[in-house]
Amino acid sequence: MSKTTIKVENISKKYTLGMIGSGSLRESISLGASKLFGKKTEEISQKEFWALRDINFEVKQGEVVGIIGKNGAGKSTLLKVLSRITQPTTGQITIDGRIASLLEVGTGFHPELSGRENIFLNGAILGMDRKEIKSKFDEIVEFSGVEKFLDTPVKRYSSGMYVRLAFAVAAHLEPEILVIDEVLSVGDAEFQKKCLGKMNDVAKGGRTVLFVSHNMAAVRDLCSSGIVLNHGEVVFSGKTEDSINYYLESLNEDISTTGEIEWPIEKAKGKEEMRLLAVRLKNEEGKVQSVFRSDKKIKLEIEYLLVKDIGEMRINVQIRTKDGSILFATSTHDIEPKDKLAGRHICHTWLPANFFNQSNYKVAIQAGIPQVKQLLKIDNYLDFSIEHYLGTGSRLNKLLPGYTAPVMNWETKYINNDAISPHKE
Amino acid sequence: MSVKTIIKPSKNPFKINFKELWQYRDLLWTLTYRDFRVKYAQTAIGFTWAIINPVFTILILSFVFGTIAKVGTGDTGVPHLLYTTAGLCGWTYFATLLGQAGNSIIGAQGMVKKIYFPRLVIPLSKAITAFIDLGITLLIIAGLMIFYGIAPKASIMFLPLFLLIAIITGLAGGIWMSALTIRYRDFQHITPLLLRVGMYATPIAFPASAVPESYRMFFYLNPMAGVVEGVRWSILGGTPPDSYAYISFGIIIIFFILSLFYFNKVEKIMADIL
Repeated sequence: MSKTTIKVENISKKYTLGMIGSGSLRESISLGASKLFGKKTEEISQKEFWALRDINFEVKQGEVVGIIGKNGAGKSTLLKVLSRITQPTTGQITIDGRIASLLEVGTGFHPELSGRENIFLNGAILGMDRKEIKSKFDEIVEFSGVEKFLDTPVKRYSSGMYVRLAFAVAAHLEPEILVIDEVLSVGDAEFQKKCLGKMNDVAKGGRTVLFVSHNMAAVRDLCSSGIVLNHGEVVFSGKTEDSINYYLESLNEDISTTGEIEWPIEKAKGKEEMRLLAVRLKNEEGKVQSVFRSDKKIKLEIEYLLVKDIGEMRINVQIRTKDGSILFATSTHDIEPKDKLAGRHICHTWLPANFFNQSNYKVAIQAGIPQVKQLLKIDNYLDFSIEHYLGTGSRLNKLLPGYTAPVMNWETKYINNDAISPHKE
Repeated sequence: MSVKTIIKPSKNPFKINFKELWQYRDLLWTLTYRDFRVKYAQTAIGFTWAIINPVFTILILSFVFGTIAKVGTGDTGVPHLLYTTAGLCGWTYFATLLGQAGNSIIGAQGMVKKIYFPRLVIPLSKAITAFIDLGITLLIIAGLMIFYGIAPKASIMFLPLFLLIAIITGLAGGIWMSALTIRYRDFQHITPLLLRVGMYATPIAFPASAVPESYRMFFYLNPMAGVVEGVRWSILGGTPPDSYAYISFGIIIIFFILSLFYFNKVEKIMADIL
């Protein structure tokens, strides 16, 4: 069977920032007034942003396609267009079959209502009719494992129970085509496994699935082919393994503006003698970027201005995890000469390779004169993320737990076999 | 079974998909049920609130207009309490619906941004819940009429017609406000203001005949004036609604149709501007 179930042709989606059509009442009135009096309205600045540009692809029946790409590459917008939540600006998508989309689990769940009521509510929102929900009700309850709390309002549920119930409803949707966002990243590890299993069943049941994820291990497990998006365009499509490789390789040559933050002098951070002018993350070749491969070291650069000479000044850097806790801290005080002259300075350090885990991190910076005063309040200035990469062939299949994943050298030495061989008399 | 969906930009706001709306009737009922449950869940006396609220509104209005201001009850000759209740009956559906529908889509934005369904389902579910309030005022009227021993007049046969107009006015207002509130958040403040002003600009607790002749035409610019007069006349008899009122009925129908088109237009960009 190779019937085409989804055909995407020239899909583009434009967002207008600060646009007519989403403006305030006052803007609309003044716009209407100026139209009325024949004034030109060109002054209204419109910033256009193409979230998707000329997307073309086809999905055959029974295919499980992974859509991968960095944050902001257009994955979510594509899903929203496919799910009819938002309209494309141009192009056309033809879908042959009953489609359901799962961009979130538990959409429409109401905290005041009981688990039982929410199953019906959520089911209806996902497009099941009452009969269908009724016939699957027991199965859903069993899958979720919350039988005992069916008549308790879900606001009293633990977050784990909540997610399990929500996913249980979603997992029992039986459309011919399923569009899933990263809903698998919720819940505890064991439940995730169960969900993945369920998803696998769905895929093997001959249904067509579009699956968006950052979790390469899940994409590898589930998908039969992949589409890589970048800056709103399809940059690669092919077999899953090739797509993942293409994506990981492309991370290395990415030029992202988000790996850098700069201020003009008049707006620079810091009120005292010091002004923070820029913070940058660069790769080994000196290119500014925000996504790094785990096997590459990262250059952290801080540019600042001193209004007058300062003795004993110190810049402190904290690398924080995505939940905000401090992974480690480092300070210029450790090695640098302490006295600084008025003027522009730039300092840098290298964040080690083979150290971070696959995750997002933040760079927080603070500066001060020890025991005297603070020059710059601590704040998060940059985000960066790490993609695990250990070279082709030796890639880790599953993510390691923990905030860091240093590559450790292990050595094993053979001592003797005394304990095993029989004693000599 | 083969369902074919075509997704493409649609620019025509006059194409309303009623068939699809019908297909989503299960969702409509479920959302209505949810609203109803949530409204009275966790309150000590639950549904009783739905009766207490209109009772107190009637008492206070009747006290201020009937007992203090002594505006009378026109030529119906009924006690002021009953007169006010019949007036409120025409107003209540409109007021409840406008008050709830305005914020309904913002309130449901979690859903709107995550899943597709005809968005009209949201204000429509509010329209169904609002029937409860209408039904309760009708019950109060019946109770009062029995209590005072007043029989309905022949004009009662027009009650379904005028109630229908009241419902259409409520729907028109509710759909307009739900779409306008997303486009312009200012309407979150405008709606309650409109309702507060409307409560006194509409002849709920006083007869339209108490309004000076020179203001009469402006008075009927408020479409609810005709609706409230009409509902009350069909229940209590007396002078039929002024001919100006029929102009406002025409305007209501036009507004109702326009509300569907406007909603349809805003629906397409809803998820983007929420």
